Amino acid sequence: MKLIDYLILSIVLLIVVLIIRHLINNKKQGKSACGCDCGQCMNSCQKK
Amino acid sequence: MAMTLKDLQIGETGIIETVGGEGALRQHFLDMGVIPGTEVTVIKYAPMGDPVELRIHNYELTLRLDDAAKIEVRKIQKDIKEEIKTNKHKTAHPYLGEPGIHHCKDNEPLPDDHILSFALVGNQNCGKTTLFNRLTGSNQHVGNFPGVTVDRKDGAIVGYPNTVVTDLPGIYSMSPYSLEELVSRDFVLQNKPDAIINIVDATNIDRNLYLTMQLLEMDIPVVVALNMMDELLGNGGSIDVNRMEEMLGVPVVPISAAKNQGIEELITHAMHIARYQEKPLKQDFCDKNDFGGAVHRGLHAVSHLIEDHAEERGLPRRFAASKSIEGDQNIIDQLHLDSNELEMLEHITVQMEKERKLDRSAAIADMRFSFIRKVASESVIRPKESKEHKRSSQIDKILTGKYTAIPLFILIMGAVFYLTFNVIGDWFQGIFEMGIEAFINLIDVSLTNMGVNETLHDLIVNGILEGVGSVIGFLPVVVTMFFFLSLLEDSGYIARVAFFMDKLLRKIGLSGRSIVPLLVGFGCTVPAVMATRTLPSKRDRKMTILLTPFMSCTAKLPIYAFFVNAFFKEHAGLIMTSIYLLGIVVGILIAFIYKKFLFKGEAVPFVMELPNYRLPTLKNTLQLVWDKAKDFIQKAFSVILLATIVVWFLQTFDMHLQIVSDSSMSIMANLAGMITPLFKPLGLGDWRICTSLISGFMAKESVVSVQEMLFAAEGGVTAVLTPLMAGTLMVYSLLYTPCVAAIASIKREVGTSWAIGVLVWQCVIAWVFAFIFKLIFGMIL
Repeated sequence: MKLIDYLILSIVLLIVVLIIRHLINNKKQGKSACGCDCGQCMNSCQKK
Repeated sequence: MAMTLKDLQIGETGIIETVGGEGALRQHFLDMGVIPGTEVTVIKYAPMGDPVELRIHNYELTLRLDDAAKIEVRKIQKDIKEEIKTNKHKTAHPYLGEPGIHHCKDNEPLPDDHILSFALVGNQNCGKTTLFNRLTGSNQHVGNFPGVTVDRKDGAIVGYPNTVVTDLPGIYSMSPYSLEELVSRDFVLQNKPDAIINIVDATNIDRNLYLTMQLLEMDIPVVVALNMMDELLGNGGSIDVNRMEEMLGVPVVPISAAKNQGIEELITHAMHIARYQEKPLKQDFCDKNDFGGAVHRGLHAVSHLIEDHAEERGLPRRFAASKSIEGDQNIIDQLHLDSNELEMLEHITVQMEKERKLDRSAAIADMRFSFIRKVASESVIRPKESKEHKRSSQIDKILTGKYTAIPLFILIMGAVFYLTFNVIGDWFQGIFEMGIEAFINLIDVSLTNMGVNETLHDLIVNGILEGVGSVIGFLPVVVTMFFFLSLLEDSGYIARVAFFMDKLLRKIGLSGRSIVPLLVGFGCTVPAVMATRTLPSKRDRKMTILLTPFMSCTAKLPIYAFFVNAFFKEHAGLIMTSIYLLGIVVGILIAFIYKKFLFKGEAVPFVMELPNYRLPTLKNTLQLVWDKAKDFIQKAFSVILLATIVVWFLQTFDMHLQIVSDSSMSIMANLAGMITPLFKPLGLGDWRICTSLISGFMAKESVVSVQEMLFAAEGGVTAVLTPLMAGTLMVYSLLYTPCVAAIASIKREVGTSWAIGVLVWQCVIAWVFAFIFKLIFGMIL
């Protein structure tokens, strides 16, 4: 593998780590499992 | 024989004589203003003859005929020419809750570092969310009320970081009719916010003030925000705010949350009463001259009886007294009265009933509405009929007409689907796909030119980019669908759908209110499951949750769109609509099974307000659509990206972590191979199809991307599948388990065993119907 291969592989791994961290943070903050803020989903949480 | 509400014809008016029914339902009738002595007019019947729409206390209420039959009335001839009242007296401003020279210096302020907490309380459809958004801007946090599945929104008031406003669910009273009412009540009683901001719909003052009176009894500082004042004034009505403030004993601030008017004044008052703990000046609403003072004497007697207990338990005395008389067992238990005191409570209440000639719940409700009538007569000038109400009535003649309601509903939903799949969504999708293809080609060529390792090249282009790209291409279709669904909901049309669908839904064991979560399910199963929290009955909630997976969500759109484009392009609209209809039909069939075996008993009673039609706020709708698009893109670049990397890895390497030349030797093939025999009878016995369906459990959008990846060597999945296989696969995808996010939300609402049950049961149903599809269409396709 060349230097460019290691560079690209590092970028891909970094992206994967960031995504996993983002998903874990969302779960800790009590956001819905779909990843969205339930308050914005129509009719989801509370009546207007 | 006495006449009941059921016997009144359209346009006829009656005075309520007695209110039948029992328990929580009866209390809910009373809380909605269905009390003896009240005038009620029949507006219309639903297209199928049930339920009935009534006008009571200047708002529209729906009731089933079975419930209407429990209410006895005396028919009257309503005098159409009502006297137009003019307010000749100017009331001096009481200056309640105002700082500066008008500040009453009785109380010391709370410390400066104390975080002022506010509860935002109001009826449904009164503009509470709009006000909450105005107060807090984007400083919001969504969580959960502890121990219950009711969401909670908190936020700091803009410009006041030392504050927190909690948006409580929309409620009609502090009676324990529903989970939301209990949650709101418990929040106020246990968390003891520093002040309550009570939002009241000025165009529907009578019913809204019913909750206000109960809030005043809680002995917490209250400011009343009179919302929709612009509408009231625009229709020729007005409110003597000073007089209302004087009579209620709390600051009253006219606002228009939609137009951002009066918000600053509201905040000033709220901050002041919270900081100085200026409690309501008045809690004694019972008049000693009304009906000989029966209720007045009863309430005061019980207040004194429970005084020490209420103080000991930290319960507001007046609130506890009125709830004890109403028979609220929750409150009575909290008071810990001894047997003698309980006996005395019962005697006082019975005496009150005897003198007042009304049962206890009706007597208390009547006391409150009597006071409200006094407040309204002295401070409110009602318009004859508001423009908005007139407009709504005209529109309802068509949209909820006897012969037009259901055909128009089918037409509207058909138009939504047609515009989504054949016009707007389709057009934008084409542009997206062109852009994505160009981008992938660019990266492919760049990586080749840079001499990047072949395996890495394959991961990036055929794994990540092809996988994510195939999903992103469906963003326009998903967003368009969500846009239309939110327009329908915000306009008030969905409430009408619940009204005329009630009789149909009752046949499958549900009430009309279940239509809302079921319709939301066409967008996404997760909010649909959460929307069932608004259903007051556990039974209805569970059953509706079990039916939402049959409403095909937007995440499955890429699957249908992909195969329809490849195999059935000339009949795209028809096939797409048929898929959705199939989901509904199967759902109905399964609902009959649930009704017979799992959920015996009647659906929850249908008592619902019909709000006026409103033009959806473009800002709110676009905000919702933007959030959905953001969520979709986030999911594509998170969960789906991870799924494609995992799938790429599993199908590129074998059990010894060596790169395979034949993907059938890969780890993926081995794993999927274990369940492949189950799919052979469906004609889908290929490990790659099974793999894609497994990945669909993570995110439905990934089914197509994974298939494209795994069938890349053969030129894509459409080169391998036949039209029959494509159709069978679509039917299976329609009905099999919802995604992990949906299963997680089901688990949160009804428990793990039900969630696992849904997962397995949906796969079984999907298999059965896919098999039937294959048998029938195997002869045609």
